[in-house]
Order: sequence, then structure tokens, then C-alpha cells
Amino acid sequence: MAGKRKLILQSAVALVLFLAAIFVTGGVIGYLSASDADVLASPVALTVICVFAGFSMLIAMWISLKWMRSIDEAAQEAHKWAWFWGGSSGMAVGGVFVILASLPQAATINIPAWYSERSDPAAYAATGAFAMLTLMLIGYGVAWAWWWLGRR
Amino acid sequence: MNNRLKVLRAERDWSQAHLATELGVSRQTVNALETGRYDPSLPLAFKIARLFQMPIESIFSDED
Repeated sequence: MAGKRKLILQSAVALVLFLAAIFVTGGVIGYLSASDADVLASPVALTVICVFAGFSMLIAMWISLKWMRSIDEAAQEAHKWAWFWGGSSGMAVGGVFVILASLPQAATINIPAWYSERSDPAAYAATGAFAMLTLMLIGYGVAWAWWWLGRR
Repeated sequence: MNNRLKVLRAERDWSQAHLATELGVSRQTVNALETGRYDPSLPLAFKIARLFQMPIESIFSDED
């Protein structure tokens, strides 16, 4: 019970840190955009967003670590099993699309980019990354449910 | 791997939830252990043995 309370407290700290990061980043970008309309293209904005992205992922990793340590060994095993089998299966499905993308017919398909109104390589790289991530997460969820359903 | 967890728990008139609390795991984990669909780690097996005050080999068996 004390462990759960500790995890809730740590989650609250992580949420506050994340909200503070959003607030600070938004404030800095907002302040800079008052004098420069194209502020997002500037090196300063790039630095601020890089720091924000890195900090956000660090918080996410930290709370994930705490959470993983708080669950019991069977629950951990379910996640490890789901990560390997579900994640790998999702990646295998994504791999089929990666191979298909090498065909000339794929050049004629109009794929929406992750960032709307953009059709540059970075936007499409992000689209591919998110598509692969989505497939892996679907596989992860199915494998996790499969593991527990088999042990009811 | 087979085990006598369910019998030992029943002998003490414990619920799965009670055993889970004693072992510091979830009730779902106790259920998975009892049905033999999840084999515990060595630390958990020792914890179970200590709780029931029995040797590990009298609780868990690798024979069918």
C-alpha cells in the first residue's frame, strides 16, 4: 500500500514537472514570437524545443522505471513478454509496408504526413515512425492481454 | 511445474487476496501461480516457502 502511495506521489511530481516544462517552453516561445513571427525556424526555438523534448522523455522514462519496479514479477513478465512478442509482431507488420514502399507503385500513393500541410522528408519520417509505433503498441496490447488471459 | 499452493491456502482458509497481500503480489499473480500457468522466481518461491514454513520442494514439483 505504501508502495502504491509512493508511486502516486511520484506520478504527481512527474506530471507537475511536465506541466512546468510545457509552461516554460510555451512562455519562452511566446516571448520570442512577439519580436519574430517566424520564431520556430530560429536556432533559439530549436534549442528550447530540443530541451523540452529531451526533458519530457526523461520524465517519461523516470516514471516508467518507477512504475515497472512497483508492479509484481508476473506483471513485469507480462510486459516483457508483450514487449518482445507483441512489439516484434507489430514491427513485422510494419516491415511488410517498409518493403512494399520500395516498389515504384508506392510512389503514386498519396500518404498524409503526420504534421499537416507538410510534405517534406522529416514530416514523412515522423509519419513512418508513428505508424510503426502504432503497430507495435497494438501488438503490445494484444500480446499483454493474451498473456493474462492465458493465466486466468 | 506443479505446486500445492491452492491446497495449502485452503488448509489455512486464506483467500487469494490475503495470500497476495502476504506475498506482496497481485491477486491475479496468485491465481496464475495456483493454476500452474506461471512459475515464480526463486525469491518469490522462497518467500512462499517461508510463509507456509515448508521446504520449497514440498510446495513445488517439476514432475507431472
